[in-house]
Amino acid sequence: MKVYDGSQTEQATDSRPERIKVGIAEYEVTTETAELTTSGLGSCVGVALYHDPTNIAGLIHVMLPVADEMDDGKPAKFADTGTELLIDEMEAAGADAGELEAKIAGGSDMLDFSEGGSGIGDRNITQVRETLTAADIPIVGEDVGGDHGRSLRLETETGNLLVKSANREDQRL
Amino acid sequence: MKIDVQSLDTFNRLAHEGAQEATASMAQMTGIDATVDVTKISLIDRADIGEELGAGSFVGVEFGFEGALSGDTVLVFERGQTEEIVESMMPGASTDDSMGQSAVQEVGNIMMSGFIDGWAEHLGASIEHTPPGYIEGEGAEILPDGPETGEHDQLFVFRSEIGWEGESVNFFIYMLPEYEPMAELMAEYAETDADAIPIEKLAVFNQMTQQGTERAAENVQQMSGIETEAEVSQISFVPIEDVPRQFGEETFVGTAVEFTGAPSGFLLVLFDEQSAITVAEGLMPVEMDSDELTEQHKMAIEELGNIMTSGFVDGWANVLQQSVDHTPPRLVHDMGRAIIDPLAAQLGQHQQHAFVIDSKMKTDEVEFESEIHALPNEQELREALDELDVERADKTDADAGQIF
Repeated sequence: MKVYDGSQTEQATDSRPERIKVGIAEYEVTTETAELTTSGLGSCVGVALYHDPTNIAGLIHVMLPVADEMDDGKPAKFADTGTELLIDEMEAAGADAGELEAKIAGGSDMLDFSEGGSGIGDRNITQVRETLTAADIPIVGEDVGGDHGRSLRLETETGNLLVKSANREDQRL
Repeated sequence: MKIDVQSLDTFNRLAHEGAQEATASMAQMTGIDATVDVTKISLIDRADIGEELGAGSFVGVEFGFEGALSGDTVLVFERGQTEEIVESMMPGASTDDSMGQSAVQEVGNIMMSGFIDGWAEHLGASIEHTPPGYIEGEGAEILPDGPETGEHDQLFVFRSEIGWEGESVNFFIYMLPEYEPMAELMAEYAETDADAIPIEKLAVFNQMTQQGTERAAENVQQMSGIETEAEVSQISFVPIEDVPRQFGEETFVGTAVEFTGAPSGFLLVLFDEQSAITVAEGLMPVEMDSDELTEQHKMAIEELGNIMTSGFVDGWANVLQQSVDHTPPRLVHDMGRAIIDPLAAQLGQHQQHAFVIDSKMKTDEVEFESEIHALPNEQELREALDELDVERADKTDADAGQIF
């Protein structure tokens, strides 16, 4: 989980933008022209932050709603601490937190066996919304819920978030 | 001999960091960006090691090591990747075989020395290794036989899968230590008695899974007429967030259930789309017009998933002398990683690591492959293992009526 600041990405000179994979419970922030990708969101949620003036972009793939109940030293695993962490890293990379915009996707309720109450997907989404609201970051695009999986691609040049699913048309947020 | 979750975690992490260091040295030499996707520690039958390599053509390097741990370790690349490695190390150089071989050997040497040194450093003991040997072969054949298992049929294997940025191809690091020294070392690292796992019972659990899979395979055969064989069964240990990473983005069809009893957890039966069509047509009285996966296919899969789940779970129940119930199956048709993700998340609310039980069945006659994955509650699995009567492990094919 490193921040790409341009000093270590000299080889990305070919026409295709560099593709940076974001694993589950991981995040990446980049100031470069790149595509941040993450795959296989079921009940997990992908949070994309974008700073339009500088094209700084960040993507995190969170798995569970709240870190509180299980402090295991992996903030990127949780919706609350993960979203906060991503905001901090965006600022550290030079983005003004007051100008950030968010797009979120995932939080499906597929294969949720929990009885009564809301499932993990729902709670992940609710937590991400709360944390973004608390930081005053507007959600300008979303594709959440339902009962299907998603994969994401965030293009840093435009801030477009492409949402791919196995049995549905691609969506561009 | 007992190990605990802490010691499994320690060794899993050690292997993961070793693989990360090895990958970083490669990145430095070649400029190729790659990341370690997943590292897992598995207990697996010797014969099944490397099954995930499929039928591809591989090249790599092999070392023997001796000292605090002894065994073999290998690094393998898909053959097609050697060109990229040669080009990045010696731009413009011809990519004939000898050049490819020496580039692979050089990269492999650097990577694996770092990997072994990392282990030695952590263990505070010396581990000597032999010079690297160049290897090539198809699929699992490329891997060494591994150390003698003596009385054990199974080996602990550390596997890291490393992904090349922007490419679908991967390379793999395997470490195959001798069973006894590895088991002793893990037992030494166990911290508490409270969550101890009797190490020999993990192997028994694998046998029980194998038999559960055989039952499921019999059920497939009875219903569809497709003769299938239970192939692989292994139990692996990974951080919970690494569970979905082992699955790709390919689309699968299958069923999921939650099972209750000791242990409780989730069970998935998955077919790739082609296998789903093949097996569903075996179940249907009339020929289908469409080559696509239809609703009728899915209904057949749902029924089959139910039967396979019951067969599998009965196998467990008989050995554990516990009744294991399960919910009605839910049909899924989605990308593999997204299917497992919510199940891992549900377990992840209560545990930081997971035991993943994987088994596979195949047939040579037609294109057919099916996977069964069980995700038991970690604590309950430990308790079940503790109470498991080793003598009963071969009793899965007993008549259930004798027990209940």
